[in-house]
Amino acid sequence: MMLNPCSREKEVADLLRSGQWPAACAPELRTHVSACRSCGDLVLVTETFLRARSESAGTVRIGSPSALWWRAQLRRRNAAVERIGRPIFGAQIFALVVNLFIVVAFLAYQARHGMAWLNWLEQLPQAYSLHLENLSQSPLLNPGWNLMALIPAAASLALLGGVAIYLASEKQ
Amino acid sequence: MDSDAFAGFYERSARPLWAYLARASADPALADDLMQESFVRFLCASLHEEGEVASRRYLFRIATNLLCDHWRRPRQTSIEEIPEELFASSADSGQTDLLGPAFAAMRPRERQLLWLAHAEGYTHREIAQITGLASASIRILLFRARRRIASLLREQSLTSRRQP
Repeated sequence: MMLNPCSREKEVADLLRSGQWPAACAPELRTHVSACRSCGDLVLVTETFLRARSESAGTVRIGSPSALWWRAQLRRRNAAVERIGRPIFGAQIFALVVNLFIVVAFLAYQARHGMAWLNWLEQLPQAYSLHLENLSQSPLLNPGWNLMALIPAAASLALLGGVAIYLASEKQ
Repeated sequence: MDSDAFAGFYERSARPLWAYLARASADPALADDLMQESFVRFLCASLHEEGEVASRRYLFRIATNLLCDHWRRPRQTSIEEIPEELFASSADSGQTDLLGPAFAAMRPRERQLLWLAHAEGYTHREIAQITGLASASIRILLFRARRRIASLLREQSLTSRRQP
């Protein structure tokens, strides 16, 4: 198929667009259109499409613009919340990693120092018969027992639990 | 754009946009959905004040992209590869009285181009902005599509005259 549009197509298209075809058209141009295939196609197709457009536009019942407006506002708000929440999520992940690191470091430290607190746990059932004398001999007060290591471990676990609960509740 | 300005813009643009979507997709229900989504996306986009003409062109661009996304969804990767049978079922569901089977016989891309050029009156450059195709390709595609639909419309007209 040869691509050879007529030089008068623009003239015809302008008349069609302005609604002046065929009433306000020169007879000479009308004669040209009836003889030129390209211009004839243009007139036929444009007239048909313009009629179809007004027919379609006339039949449709459009909804309320306010509903779309609020829908868009809601979507924008959600997108903004998501955008703001992204660095917070990053911070949560960072906190989680730091806590895990503390726990691992604590366990490694305890393993290196003979897990002294395990001995204390083994002796815990005997605490039923706990007396003041026993308490004074308790490994808790034993200088070998590293009480200071237990406190950070408990704090880490509490913190980790808090983060886990916060993450779970936020997801819900 | 505030809510009052949007209401005015919507009033002026919704019907032409719906007509475009309904004709190009041959599915009025789909046109309803895509029109709403187009307006919501239009509002969500941080578009600076560029005037009604540019805003409308942008709206048509969103609608065109949504339509292409819809067509691509069932496995097809290109709009050109979509079989005509996919559209034939819904092509007869109203809205095709004037254009009739001639328009239904056109490829989806050709429908879009023909509608934007002849019903909306967009230039080749504007159609290129809306569809994302090259302006030179639009000229060729549109020329072929127009020739084809003109032949089909003439045939359709002859057939309807012959029938009692």
